[in-house]
Amino acid sequence: MIFSGIETGSFYALAALGIIIIFRTSITTNFAQGVIGMFNAFMATEFYYRFGYSTVESIILAIVTSIIMGILIDILIIRHARKVNPVSKQIITLGLIMIIMGITPMIFGTTNRDLKRIIPSGQIDFGSLHISYNSILNIILVFIIMFVLFIVLQYTKWGLAVRVTASNEYTARLMGVPTKMVTMIIWALAASLSTLASIMLAPSNSVEVNMMGGVQVNALIACVLGGFQTFYGPVIAAYIIGISSNLIVFYISDTWGEPILYIFILIFILIKPNGLIGKKLVKKV
Amino acid sequence: MSKKAIVVNKELSNDIVLQVDNLSIAFGGLKAVDNLSFNIKKNEIFGLIGPNGAGKTTVFNCITQFYRPNNGEVYFRTKRDKVVNLVGRPVYRIIRLGLVRTFQNVELIRELSVLDNLLVGAHIKYKTGFISHMLKTKKARKEELDNRKKAIEVLKYLGIDHLKDFLAAGLSYGILKRVELGRALMSDPNLLILDEPAAGLNETETEQLAETIRKIRDDFNSSILLVEHDMRLVMNICDRICAISFGKLLAIGTPKEIQSNKNVQEAYLGKDD
Amino acid sequence: MAIISKKIIKDIFFKTSNILPKPYVNYLLFGIILVILPYIVNGSTLLTIGSVIVYAIAALGLNLLLGYSGLISLGTAGFMGLSSYFASYLTKDLNFPFFASLLISVFIPVILGLLVGLVSLRIEGYYLAIATLAVAEILRRIFEKFIAFTGGYVGKTADYPNILNVFMLDREGTYIILVIFLIVIMILTHNLIQSPTGRALLTMRGSDAAAQAMGIDILKYRLIAFALATLYASIAGVLYVHFNELTYPTIWNLGLSLNILAIIIIGGIRSISGTVLGAFVVYSFSDLILKEIPFIGEIPGLSNIIFGVLIIVIILFYPQGLIQIFKNILKSIFIRKDVKASE
Repeated sequence: MIFSGIETGSFYALAALGIIIIFRTSITTNFAQGVIGMFNAFMATEFYYRFGYSTVESIILAIVTSIIMGILIDILIIRHARKVNPVSKQIITLGLIMIIMGITPMIFGTTNRDLKRIIPSGQIDFGSLHISYNSILNIILVFIIMFVLFIVLQYTKWGLAVRVTASNEYTARLMGVPTKMVTMIIWALAASLSTLASIMLAPSNSVEVNMMGGVQVNALIACVLGGFQTFYGPVIAAYIIGISSNLIVFYISDTWGEPILYIFILIFILIKPNGLIGKKLVKKV
Repeated sequence: MSKKAIVVNKELSNDIVLQVDNLSIAFGGLKAVDNLSFNIKKNEIFGLIGPNGAGKTTVFNCITQFYRPNNGEVYFRTKRDKVVNLVGRPVYRIIRLGLVRTFQNVELIRELSVLDNLLVGAHIKYKTGFISHMLKTKKARKEELDNRKKAIEVLKYLGIDHLKDFLAAGLSYGILKRVELGRALMSDPNLLILDEPAAGLNETETEQLAETIRKIRDDFNSSILLVEHDMRLVMNICDRICAISFGKLLAIGTPKEIQSNKNVQEAYLGKDD
Repeated sequence: MAIISKKIIKDIFFKTSNILPKPYVNYLLFGIILVILPYIVNGSTLLTIGSVIVYAIAALGLNLLLGYSGLISLGTAGFMGLSSYFASYLTKDLNFPFFASLLISVFIPVILGLLVGLVSLRIEGYYLAIATLAVAEILRRIFEKFIAFTGGYVGKTADYPNILNVFMLDREGTYIILVIFLIVIMILTHNLIQSPTGRALLTMRGSDAAAQAMGIDILKYRLIAFALATLYASIAGVLYVHFNELTYPTIWNLGLSLNILAIIIIGGIRSISGTVLGAFVVYSFSDLILKEIPFIGEIPGLSNIIFGVLIIVIILFYPQGLIQIFKNILKSIFIRKDVKASE
């Protein structure tokens, strides 16, 4: 139970990390995070079925297209929205949802598709517990990605540039940080994180337009729960949400598990408004 | 609303409007205001001066509760002659007690006309709620009309009534400063806090401003606390001045006393570029 | 169109400039035009224009919220759906009269909205969008799974309203009710915007600091704006179910909330007439125009793409929306004519 919770949590964590790095550098909550992943999951199926690549190759190609997509979104839209207020930026990402949700059936048709697992079969048995190799791979892969990203953010020149841009874009630009480059990389990174999440999620569901709706909502709620002030808060919160929603769904109610969890989180936020790892910022007047 | 008692057993002598006691606030490790105390008397024009970064605006923000001070109390004699401690009250409650402020960088609403901007200052005067506003009840209409009349009077008083229908967006800085002053006056304050009222004004405008501030003190029967860089203005209109540096009190006294004070001179000359 | 005099057109589109002493006249005129519109254009468009009106009402509420307090709600569809189910349940299952059911059906979503707003708005403005998204998600699940109340995927039906047992309305009659609701709401919204509450909302949006210094309780006014947005959405939901005689879960998805957002961005933020124009553009465009174009009209998702692109383009380059372009064009026409006439 907990194990599959960790797996679900890692999908949320990928999406949440994508949302939080965009929030910190572009000051907007990216509602289009999920649909970007959804679109590229379709791309992966396209590579697999139409062009006959192997599963792993298709996934890698889909990640490449997601990176291109992220870069395009930044160059075509986000870059021009620098002076637009945060609310309008949010609306822009909502517009992106409409566009991507419109384009998807146009290119890929309206039928659901499926995506194979990277490791098609095999499982470890712990008594009554079965854990597939693929789940283990997913969990480990996400851990590695998180680990590498945090090392990069914390200890490299690029990581510093991102953190500086996150804390004050204007000053960062004055100091010679290539903020344009930073936001571009961030959008590409966020797009590929979300794509990875959707590809990992795809085998257990199916590839369809609304596949990432739940992940998107849970990732945003993870950001709320974890607090928008740190990079790691939302990630931790994402795992908490993944694990506890699996537990509630299993022990309390299949249908009402998630709503119950949301209500718990709502109550938590009432008590601790800035989230698990929240710092209150003093606004300068 | 606040946890502290509404009426504090603090005794303020009858002629004092504002009493700041041991005010301190730190950001990170930096003490922006350090154990500062001063008081303002009725109908007094009181200046707060100090070199750049001395923490003057921070003091304002602590008085008006935009910042929560770490330490110290701010006692205020309200319009109804009650003494209250401002610390811990929500920011939006402060104006109801009779204390109103202007901002260093004019904070007017660009999409609203000059007249409407003044009416925003009368917000606390409205007794009707949004439902009466939607239905345009008789009471709501009368209230609006009364406040409108008053706003036009204030605009006339400040000599800008001819601009009442202009949007704030297109007006010059000097005019905007005056509109903001007008907005503050709409609430009938007994203490008016002005954050650099002369910043960005030319010499004639500054002279007019000095005149206006004095007039306001007399006509509105209000005390005035101002932060200002223009020393001539400060020395010209203030009854008493408080000089601070790095959040610490240097001296309080009449303009003459301040000018001749050694500490003040040092702080300015030492820091002067 | 030639029957409608230039003066009337002028009055309708320049009402915000307060040329007329009573701007209500414009709204009433617009209402009359709406009532006769289905008959002069084409009988079969009644359903489309009715939907336009329903969505325009919801959009007017969202415009108050977004335009005047700078907050986004993604729960519009959820709240609309909730009230539609209540209206259906109360009138059909419990035989409540129309107005009593309307009151209750609207009251419950508003209370729910207030609770959500109270929690999320205490923190930061952008939390509202996330909270309403989560609430919409929960509501959608309720619509699908709480079958005793919602009828599950099949949905629930309702009849045309029966007003005080005197007027047993048909589709045309219900359409007139929709128009009346729209016009009354437009007038009430107009009043609100011009009032101290409207100024307080604008002040909040322009400067948090100034608003608080002037005694405006930001949380209170944000809640008022959000409560009104929920109220309008709920009214729209009730009208929807009575006009379409049916409600089911898939209508009330995120796509609808986004379309309503598109209405106000495309039509014109902070503009009542812009909102209505936007509703016409978004909801009659795909029904009346796009479907008529051969080949292109058949492509799934095309209207979504167009509106998505329009949202982004308008935000980046023309933040006042189509209504401003419209006004500018009209102005240039009339001003040129006026100059010629005076020569």
